[in-house]
Amino acid sequence: MKIKKFIKSVTNYLGLGDYKIEGKKRSLKDLIKKLNERKSDIKKKLKESSAKKEKKELEEEFEIVSLEIKKGKEILYKLYPKKK
Amino acid sequence: MLKNILLPTILAVLAYGFWISPDFKEIAAGVAIFLFGMLSLEEGFKSFSGGTLERILQKSTDKLYKSIAFGVITTTFMQSSSLVSVLTISFLGAGLIGLSQGIGIVFGANIGTTTGAWLVAGFGLKVNIASYAMPMLVFGVILIFQKSKSLKGMGYILAGLGFLFLGIHYMKDGFEAFKSAIDLSSYAVGGLKGLFIFTGIGIFATVVMQSSHATLVLIITALAAGQISYENALALAIGANVGTTITAIIGAMSSNIVGKQLAGAHLIFNVVTGLIAIIFMHQIMSSVDFFSNIVGIANDDYSLKLAVFHTIFNVIGVVVMVPFIDKLVTFLESVLKTDVSKSVAGFDSARYLNDSVLELPATSMAAIVRETKHLYDNAFEIITHGLNIKRTNIISSMSLDEVIKDSYSQSAINIDEFYNNKIKGIYGQIIDFATKAQSQMAPGDIEILYRLKLANRDLVEAVKDTKHLQKNLVKYANSTNEHIKEEYNTLRRGLAELLRNINIIATTDEDDVILLLLAKAKVHTEKYDILANGTLDKLIRQGLVTNEMATSLMNDSAYAYDISKNLIAMAEITFASVARASNNLNEEMSMSPDDIQSILHTKDNA
Repeated sequence: MKIKKFIKSVTNYLGLGDYKIEGKKRSLKDLIKKLNERKSDIKKKLKESSAKKEKKELEEEFEIVSLEIKKGKEILYKLYPKKK
Repeated sequence: MLKNILLPTILAVLAYGFWISPDFKEIAAGVAIFLFGMLSLEEGFKSFSGGTLERILQKSTDKLYKSIAFGVITTTFMQSSSLVSVLTISFLGAGLIGLSQGIGIVFGANIGTTTGAWLVAGFGLKVNIASYAMPMLVFGVILIFQKSKSLKGMGYILAGLGFLFLGIHYMKDGFEAFKSAIDLSSYAVGGLKGLFIFTGIGIFATVVMQSSHATLVLIITALAAGQISYENALALAIGANVGTTITAIIGAMSSNIVGKQLAGAHLIFNVVTGLIAIIFMHQIMSSVDFFSNIVGIANDDYSLKLAVFHTIFNVIGVVVMVPFIDKLVTFLESVLKTDVSKSVAGFDSARYLNDSVLELPATSMAAIVRETKHLYDNAFEIITHGLNIKRTNIISSMSLDEVIKDSYSQSAINIDEFYNNKIKGIYGQIIDFATKAQSQMAPGDIEILYRLKLANRDLVEAVKDTKHLQKNLVKYANSTNEHIKEEYNTLRRGLAELLRNINIIATTDEDDVILLLLAKAKVHTEKYDILANGTLDKLIRQGLVTNEMATSLMNDSAYAYDISKNLIAMAEITFASVARASNNLNEEMSMSPDDIQSILHTKDNA
């Protein structure tokens, strides 16, 4: 039992606890970052755009990206253990 | 015919040998135990190939020197060039690596396999190897009975090594005892004649045993017991090197054309290397003496000198052949090519599904993914042409309005014929292959396989729906009623946009782009519901279309909706989920029907 505890503490210390979850967190953070960049890009284009059709498309993209960011953040939040 | 005669002859010769000499029986039993050990070892390594080997293979074979190094290292580690060759053919068959990479691995495996001779000559003959074999066998067999896949694999490897050691021990003892009864060295043949005779014997022995490793161990033990001369042993080693290509040739028989090309490369490489060794035999022997003196190998330690010889001539072979790899690839691709004459014009069949890729679950999966993409390419062609759109326009940057204006043909295409030639056969082959492949897959992989089958079904459904849609599409695209014409062009524009987006999804690595395009596609699909969005009501109320037109439009917008749904579902599985299965991120981030409704609701309110 003591050995198991020791191994767990060492893997936790080295950040090897669960490499799959760690990998997922990293990918998710990268994705949210990219989506945020895209969101501000769309926002900028929306201000500049005057054509109705283009504006409509940008608004739709804005909605989608905002929703994706929200979903991503929710998934990311669930990946962190709750502090007691 | 030859096969029918060969096996009984071999069995009869062996039985006669056992009857007249118990020592021969011991040697033959040693070879049999050794070969069984090889099988067990291969089984063990295969159980560890559920991802690690594949990942290393894909990442470490992008350059020729890396492919060669990979061949050297894996063969040294697994002690079986045959296993490495068969796995390489399997990876080639699945399209995971290219022919030049495969050739690099085979070249490296030829160098790696020489470490076996070093181990046997340097360690196997110098210590009581059987004393190591027994505990290995006991621990190995206990582990084989465990449920855990890794423990089982470890068990097979340990038992395999145990059998290898035991086999070497029996061969060694057999030759020692054989020496007192018959002196085989009296049959030694010198000169060029001996060189050719013993090279031939080496080829024959390896073809029969299908393991150059086993032949080499037999040669080394016989050499150590003084039963064969050093010169004849060198010739036998050359023969073993040529004969070992039989395993790759047999493996390639069930593979696709690339697997056959690799087996061809293996044969050419080993024959050329063998010829170089025969032609420059004296020079290589001198270099063996020179090298042996440097590393301190005794002049009369012929078994170790044989190991040096084996390494030197294989390294020379690689050095000589490496500059010609590109030419070798060109030559093989021109000599061994798909027999086009056999296939009916326009008929397409599976490219990646063959028995050789069934060797590993990972290669089976990769082959099915690639075949699904192949089916998608064909479906893409049929759907675009069915919509009377040119494929090149879809993947270009041309505006969608221009894309639908530039028609593919003036008349409807025969989708049934296209379906029978380019979809039905491949789809059947994928389903049949998936059934075979899943028998050796883990539950997680079977789940992925199931989803891939669904993706294939979605593609087939999309093609079938296109057939139904095409009838009225052609009719109303040329109608004098501008309203119905415009409605059908709207359907075409929507599907063209979807196909363009799926093409981007299939070719991009950016996760955010994939998510955005899939979400957009899902939102846009909802607009086909012309009943819900009031389009149909408006057209009928204002008398812009006839009742017949309205019914057709209602039915066809339902087909367009189904085509979109099926294509999106297929793209989600094939290009977003399975292709990036490392963390299921795209799957979790995928837009649910509620999300779509919320976006549509926001749009309506805007």
